[in-house]
Amino acid sequence: MIEQIQLFPGIVLQCHRDSRFKHGSVSIQLVRPMDRREAALNALLPAVLLRGSRNYPDLRAITLRLDDLYGAHVGTTVRRVGDYQTTGLGCGFLEDRFALPGDRVLAPTLDFLRELLLEPDTEKGIFREDYVQSEKKNLISAIEAQRNDKRAYASDRLVSLMCPEDSYGVPRLGELDAVKAITPQSLWDHYQKILKESPIQLFYTGSLSTEQVAALLSPIFADLPRAFRPLPPQTDLLPSPHREEQEALDVTQGKLCMGFVTPITLRDPRFVAMQVLNMIFGGSMTNKLFMTIREEMSLCYDIGSGYYGSKGILTVSAGLDFDKYLVVRQQVMEQLELCVQGKITPQELEGAKQALICQLRATHDSPASIESYYGTAALSGLSMDPDSYLRQAAEITLEQVMEAAATVQLHSVFFLKGVS
Amino acid sequence: MEKTYYPALDETVYRHTLTNGLPMAVIHRPGFTKKLMYFVTDYGSIHTSYAINGKAAQAPDGVAHFLEHKLFDMPGRDITAEFAALGASPNAFTGYDMTAYYVSCTENFPECLKLLLEFVSQPHFTAESVEKEQGIIGQEIAMNADNPDTRIFENLMTAMYRSHPVSHPILGTEDSISQITPEILYECHRAFYAPHNMYLCIMGDVDPVQAAAIAEATLPKGPFPQATPCRQWQEDMTCVQPSVTDTMEVAMPMFQLGFKCEPLGKGLAAVRQEYIGDLAAELLFGESSQLYLKLYEEGRIDSSFGGGLETIEGMCMLSASGDSDDPEGVKDAILDYAARVLETGISPEALLRMKRSAMGRRLLALDSFDSTCFRSCAYHFSDFDYFTFPQVYEAITEQDLLDFIMRTVTPSRCCLSVILPN
Repeated sequence: MIEQIQLFPGIVLQCHRDSRFKHGSVSIQLVRPMDRREAALNALLPAVLLRGSRNYPDLRAITLRLDDLYGAHVGTTVRRVGDYQTTGLGCGFLEDRFALPGDRVLAPTLDFLRELLLEPDTEKGIFREDYVQSEKKNLISAIEAQRNDKRAYASDRLVSLMCPEDSYGVPRLGELDAVKAITPQSLWDHYQKILKESPIQLFYTGSLSTEQVAALLSPIFADLPRAFRPLPPQTDLLPSPHREEQEALDVTQGKLCMGFVTPITLRDPRFVAMQVLNMIFGGSMTNKLFMTIREEMSLCYDIGSGYYGSKGILTVSAGLDFDKYLVVRQQVMEQLELCVQGKITPQELEGAKQALICQLRATHDSPASIESYYGTAALSGLSMDPDSYLRQAAEITLEQVMEAAATVQLHSVFFLKGVS
Repeated sequence: MEKTYYPALDETVYRHTLTNGLPMAVIHRPGFTKKLMYFVTDYGSIHTSYAINGKAAQAPDGVAHFLEHKLFDMPGRDITAEFAALGASPNAFTGYDMTAYYVSCTENFPECLKLLLEFVSQPHFTAESVEKEQGIIGQEIAMNADNPDTRIFENLMTAMYRSHPVSHPILGTEDSISQITPEILYECHRAFYAPHNMYLCIMGDVDPVQAAAIAEATLPKGPFPQATPCRQWQEDMTCVQPSVTDTMEVAMPMFQLGFKCEPLGKGLAAVRQEYIGDLAAELLFGESSQLYLKLYEEGRIDSSFGGGLETIEGMCMLSASGDSDDPEGVKDAILDYAARVLETGISPEALLRMKRSAMGRRLLALDSFDSTCFRSCAYHFSDFDYFTFPQVYEAITEQDLLDFIMRTVTPSRCCLSVILPN
């Protein structure tokens, strides 16, 4: 389904040809190490690029151009993929066959994307001071606004407890002080450096063939001065001591976040069994945490688990009354113990496998899910396509799930409570 | 079974009405693995006053949402587990004017459809299960209390609407849900889950004749009671108060601004008004407007800013929201800019470009199963065939937008809801 070709050293194009959709998408990602010293720069860069280019020098000019391109959209993408951080631009556009007769969308959209990426509006040869300052303010707001979503806030706090040294502890958008320290010059220098040396991942979904897309995208990078430096491979989580923390805020509902570690990452042959365990434990519709702690015991409103395969981290997050903290925490441990002991019904096992399989089977039904699967899979070290992944999922046995559960150890706990 | 092909969108839709009166549609998507089915009722949190078989009734706030939770219960069966065994995930939501139950699957489509229709059409409530749900929904109400977006909107509605029940939260309150009993739930189900008040919309590579046969065989045949909810509320175009301010544990001040509009009603004329309102929002403060650029460059709004027309049955407003240190200033700037637009007018090129962009974005969104099913359902209850949207845009003129702005964007129709950090 996916074709991959190298356009230039370190510049790889992945194509998924598909004419079922009304729109196509293209993304250009520079791949960086996830590092405290540059996470904020990588997060800020695409936002500044989208403020203005040589021929479209402000937000309004950019939007008017997109309006002319039948409502195409361009956005920033800043992702965490294991030890890497990707930064770049992505765009979605109407397939040419829906444009007015004789009109084209794809070619002019790609040319526009090229200009946004490579020809920013500058002053004195570097980024404009006003654009950098205003996007710094936006990024600072975005980082501070994470506090508004209490569940996400509590999860972030948990992760910082678990990963003091590991790259997973570096916030995806960087740290406030690092954002504040950025200058137009430092951002410009970083921009030049990463265009020159980073691996660049291009992704296309739409009705054209790989050759046609390569012919359109190659010229964008043909003249780029390059000195490609490959990145080190992905690593497992760095060990750190167990930690517990509580914080009081003026909230109505408490948030309990428990972090577990497992040696099983997505580079491990037991990965699929671990995924199935996560579904049974707290990921599927009928997961143990939800069915027992919410449905049977009414101890909380929402509860669930997530597994981050790049690092082998499993987290449980629950919204609950403050006084239910201890009993919910104890119940979570009990439900995990049931998984270790294999106290899993055939329905639970089958339901979890089916949910995972169904998810994977629908991967190819939207350009966004195609991009998000393939755009991160290879980078993170996941070597399966959705089809082989789901075939493996169908074969997982109870014993394999028990074995995966036995590797899961509680690492740290964070509790967000009210102000008494 | 009636088949319609829409050449401009390259879409094929099959429509049919079952013998019990349920209208249904299949949006045909050959070659796709995913199948999505929406079973919806034209009933939401605002429909608390109604008459059933000629008798007037008043239900507690939050009953539509409560009902949505409780329909997943079937005696001696575990619906979620049955769906899970089929590899499908059911879900539901309650809005102000619609309740939706939906399932997506990649296999076992006939079984999934049958199960969806069964659990929604076969209510089963007990005093114990209702009491337990009161605890769960109480937690949901608490969770919502910490959500600034919900709070800011609910505060705005209370400050804007005197009699329209949009000023009551969808979930109800701890107190109102404590009054809910199995009898109330049964009656609301009888009143609002009758086939003529519902709609079934399926999207994917499915056989429409088979889908209709499954629905025909699964759903009750009737007779169904005659129920009429109150759908008319007396509202003038002024607000209860011009502004409302609250404090919460948030990082920076947030605001939502509303301009009261005449309710839209139903049919083509209503959708035309809706699209005029959307285009007017784009013209006034969309990213392509001069005002957006100015406010953004001055740092008075940021990338969180956005807006458009919000419509609920019997209620309509032009709205803008985001984070800002100066919400009053943003409000004044929008009012000033509207006056300027009325003076200078709109060029035909600008309107054409806005229309092309809006239509392009709607076309693009048809690739999303969820958005397409949801819109098909919502527009069905507005008596409008969503797949004819391009024609609506074609007929909109510059003067339509100016008339809308002149009528709507005035100080007397305006209300500002602000949340400040603690």
